[in-house]
Amino acid sequence: MYPPSLVVTFTKKSSVKMAKLTSLFVILLSFFCISEAVFEDQVGKFDWRQQYVGKTLFAHFESNTQSSKKMFVATDKNIFASFNSRTGDLLWRHVDKTGPEGTIDILLLHGQDALMVVGDGRLLRSWDTNIGGLNWEVVLDTGSFQAACFVAIQDTVKLVAVLKKAAISLHYLSNGHQKWVENLPDSDAVQYQAVYSGGEEEVYVLGVVPNSHLTIIAYSLEDGEIIKQRSVEASWLSSVESSCVVVGQGVLMCVDPATLALYTLPIQAEETPEFSQILLQVLYLSPTVSPGFQPVLVSSQPHPARSPLSEFFLQLGPDHHVLLQLNADGYTIAPLRDFQPAFLVSFATTGKKTVAAVMTPKNETVSRHRVVSFINYTAVSKPRWLSPLPFPLQACAINLFSVDSGRRLLDTTVLFPLEPNGGKPHMLYVHAFLKKDDSVGYRVLVQTQDHALTFIQQPGRVVWTREEALADVVTMEMVDLPLTGTQAELEGEFGKKAGKEHGLFPMVLKRLSSQVTLLQAWLAHLWKLFYEARKPRSQVKNEVTIETLSRDEFNLQKMMVMVTASGKLFGIDSKSGSILWKHYLENVQPNAAFKLIVQRTTAHFPHPPQCTLLIKDKDTGLATLHVFNPIFGRKSHIALPALPRPILQSLLLPVIDQDYAKVLLLVDDQYKVTAFPSTKNVLQQLQEMASSIFFYLIRSEHGNLSGFRLRKDLSTERIWEVVLPTEVQKIVAVKGKRPNEHVHSQGRVMGDRSVLYKYLNPNLLAVVTESTDAHPERAFVGVFLVDGVTGRIIHEAVQRKARGPVHFVHSENWVVYEYWNTKSRRNEFSVLELFEGTELYNSTVFSSLDRPHLPQVLQQTYIFPSPITTMEATLTEKGITSRHLLVGLPSGAILSLPKMFLDPRRPEVVTEHSREENLIPYAPEMPIRTEWFINYNQTVARVKGIYTAPSGLESTCLVVAYGLDIYQTRVYPSKQFDVLKDDYDYVLISSVLFALFFATMISKRLAQVKLLNRAWR
Amino acid sequence: MAPPGGQGGGAVSTRGAGARRMKWALELSLGNARGRGDRQSNQGDVMYPIGYSDKSVPDTSIQETDKNLVEKRCWDVALGPLKQIPMNLFIMYMSGNTISIFPIMMVCMMAWRPIQALMSMSATFKLLENSNQQWLQGLAYSVGNLLGSALAIYKCQSMGLLPTHSSDWLAFIEPPQRMEIMGGGMVL
Repeated sequence: MYPPSLVVTFTKKSSVKMAKLTSLFVILLSFFCISEAVFEDQVGKFDWRQQYVGKTLFAHFESNTQSSKKMFVATDKNIFASFNSRTGDLLWRHVDKTGPEGTIDILLLHGQDALMVVGDGRLLRSWDTNIGGLNWEVVLDTGSFQAACFVAIQDTVKLVAVLKKAAISLHYLSNGHQKWVENLPDSDAVQYQAVYSGGEEEVYVLGVVPNSHLTIIAYSLEDGEIIKQRSVEASWLSSVESSCVVVGQGVLMCVDPATLALYTLPIQAEETPEFSQILLQVLYLSPTVSPGFQPVLVSSQPHPARSPLSEFFLQLGPDHHVLLQLNADGYTIAPLRDFQPAFLVSFATTGKKTVAAVMTPKNETVSRHRVVSFINYTAVSKPRWLSPLPFPLQACAINLFSVDSGRRLLDTTVLFPLEPNGGKPHMLYVHAFLKKDDSVGYRVLVQTQDHALTFIQQPGRVVWTREEALADVVTMEMVDLPLTGTQAELEGEFGKKAGKEHGLFPMVLKRLSSQVTLLQAWLAHLWKLFYEARKPRSQVKNEVTIETLSRDEFNLQKMMVMVTASGKLFGIDSKSGSILWKHYLENVQPNAAFKLIVQRTTAHFPHPPQCTLLIKDKDTGLATLHVFNPIFGRKSHIALPALPRPILQSLLLPVIDQDYAKVLLLVDDQYKVTAFPSTKNVLQQLQEMASSIFFYLIRSEHGNLSGFRLRKDLSTERIWEVVLPTEVQKIVAVKGKRPNEHVHSQGRVMGDRSVLYKYLNPNLLAVVTESTDAHPERAFVGVFLVDGVTGRIIHEAVQRKARGPVHFVHSENWVVYEYWNTKSRRNEFSVLELFEGTELYNSTVFSSLDRPHLPQVLQQTYIFPSPITTMEATLTEKGITSRHLLVGLPSGAILSLPKMFLDPRRPEVVTEHSREENLIPYAPEMPIRTEWFINYNQTVARVKGIYTAPSGLESTCLVVAYGLDIYQTRVYPSKQFDVLKDDYDYVLISSVLFALFFATMISKRLAQVKLLNRAWR
Repeated sequence: MAPPGGQGGGAVSTRGAGARRMKWALELSLGNARGRGDRQSNQGDVMYPIGYSDKSVPDTSIQETDKNLVEKRCWDVALGPLKQIPMNLFIMYMSGNTISIFPIMMVCMMAWRPIQALMSMSATFKLLENSNQQWLQGLAYSVGNLLGSALAIYKCQSMGLLPTHSSDWLAFIEPPQRMEIMGGGMVL
């Protein structure tokens, strides 16, 4: 996984050497920030990266031999990638621009060349599939892309035809040069949608005037001259793309859902015949068409130099497919086989044989082995809260059928196990090959609705699975792991209820039994150690499973709960990166908004931890809650509140109910509040506290910030409102402080040893606005610091001639933001720090309602040499460790920038006091040092967010960067002051200790002997 | 130290000790002056009445100078700490205000010595017992030591080792308690 050679190993020595050559400033810096980069032997020790590609749109296998290992996919994330089909690892990956500019319209594969049309017909690219290199790239004429196909001349594929809205062009496969381009006649009225070539001297373009007629144009391959042009009456046809395919010797086959009929038309015919209609009734098929289902035709053209197969599939319902054959006369159709139920069908060709793969549901047990392992799993791990769930075990069977006859091929059944909480199969890609005995073997790639790819080979072995939903993580949380079963057992013994219910004798027995369990666990651990010590190190793999999950000594291993845009939830072990559980939420809209809340942590033992995911449907505004156990991923069966009205926001209170779950308030569009959980206890607490509960809502489209106060009856009253006129500026983002952030020091020590107290307002909000006017002279960026309780604007900073996107971090008493300076055309960092002054107004309580003085605000700005994509601050347990900013760069690097560099008190003139304070003299340029990259060469493509979580060690902060890839590591902003170094020489120290100990013993003995001898003398 | 006027008793005791040292002695030579003298004195013991001493009474004027010497010695002891102060000042000036191992060691010594002296005050008072100005000397001694420790404290202060500023108590300030609970955000 990790490349053997690494570049980033800096030592203190080298940096000091450098410093000698440069100025005093650099010397100062090198004193403050000694190397933080990892050493070569630390690579992969506590960090890992997983690379993803996104939802597959097109997939192809390399060649039809059994030994081929490559497959190619193009995805909705504008990525073209190649996998090793044996392991599922990425061989190479090309990440194109995001957005429509990089959209992959089509991927065609022929031999060693992969042809790709990118950006709605903007570019035509050819890739070498062996190494993933770009052969050539040509810019196409403007016009939206419609279709593309290979064109063969005399049995060899030499050209590719690209059909656009108003033109067709032919390009050479070898170098991309354009052979010819022709404008399509009458392109305003006719929608040209398909291009077809069957190895003849012509290329056919099919267009349609919806509900009127079909147009067929034949172009000469040589010079692009129109050979034929004709139109056929087709009042029932609205789209060629969705309802027509070409089968057999150039026969256009269309399906009309209204009349339930198939229409055929020979494309190459000289005369102008009508469509010939074949009613489905004739084929005894009509009564089975599902209501409201648009029938779909599936055909296959195994080689571009030959005409397509005359067999084709007709899909009549979500689980109903029929294999049909077009007879040689080109007008009559014979049904070969009816597949019902059948989810998915696919053609595959190898050599001269073409087979059809059909996936059918199979409601039996998956396989004996799997069931056994499942039972074992429930038997071995039985934490008390775990009740064995009866999964609806379901699998799908895939079979091969001969296309010619529709007969099932023997011994070709492959079982596809359906995950209990996974998505349904969505696409089927079949890799067929000829075995040595000339029979057809195959492997199959199944894409499910949750974007997962599963590769299966005969007989039903899952080779690998890729969870491509993780390419689009929306939000995440890190949850502490529970104590081990034995630890929990002990905890339970001394729990609050234990003593009262049992007598003395059962307690003793219980104690003894738990001691025995502890002993057992210890012996098992010893045995495991002994057993593993005999194996070579490379084979020892610490398999992480849900059963073995337990908190480690320093709480460095946590459960990462990730929510993806597709609605699939993942539980990932932060140490190894292995996916421990996954749960697919089926009816999540693609544009839904998610908010993940940890309601109960693992700290309250007999109660399981509890996470709540708030899913809001953007269209209806209605929200649903998904409550689950973050360690096991299982849905909790808790009575959920009814949410009949659209939900605007949620608010997690530090109030807990009798089951130690924090109370979640949901605010609906009438500003009424629903509490979850809403037991009597909670409602009573809420009534008592109502006057001190406030919330704010920001409506970006109205430029409106408003604050509300909770009333005793759970209704609310608006107490303040700030309106920022939307015609001038619009609110882009707002950030409060993280609730789990601790600030150890309440002030900063000045050079004269007085204290400058920080303005630590927990209710402070940083609101960022951008001007609607994008002109470089008039554009501006505004940062408002608003008190969320009173609505008082504490400070406002307007950056003129600046433009977004603004990335910012709000923490402690500072806000750091980054923007684009339109005047100087550079990226700039600006930092705002708030201080109360040299005296605290009230050192015991903080109330926003009683703060007569505004804080002092200091600000400084620096030039940053790179654009950034995201920014986050490190977070530690007690907040003693100094802070770093983690900056995601577009290059995929993650920079750990000491906050010390972003300090508005950096002096321009160095004085004794500032030196005393360790302030770095102000320099407008912010350095980027390569040893600050925490992910060395493990770049994270398209970093979207960085999540930081404290660990049990004060020095250590856990970092997860997600985007297209996921990268997890630890950072030590003040270095590892509370643990021994990684390379600490235990052997040396202990051997010296032992040697000294024995030396003392021996010399003591010798001294005694000597004394005795002297006494005798 | 012998009490004043105890010289006579001392002579007797030495003689007694000399007599005690030899349990018995055989005088073989008569020409030994010392032996004769011994015998004479033995005879003298018999001859002279009790309380007679053949040595002259010690001169009281010598007693007077001795007393002055003691007094002087006692003043020396009492003024010792005060005399050290200029030296300490010089060392302080030389060692500077940077915090490193040598200045710290010096400050520790400077602070520790007066404290030690003050703690063993009773022993010093015993020394000064013979002096007439015992109390004055004791006062001078303790003032000197106090001045020395004040100097050490001043040195600590100038080195920044004393928690006299508000910043020294910063770590003990608890974060203020939050009175309001607030949350919310952009409309989802």
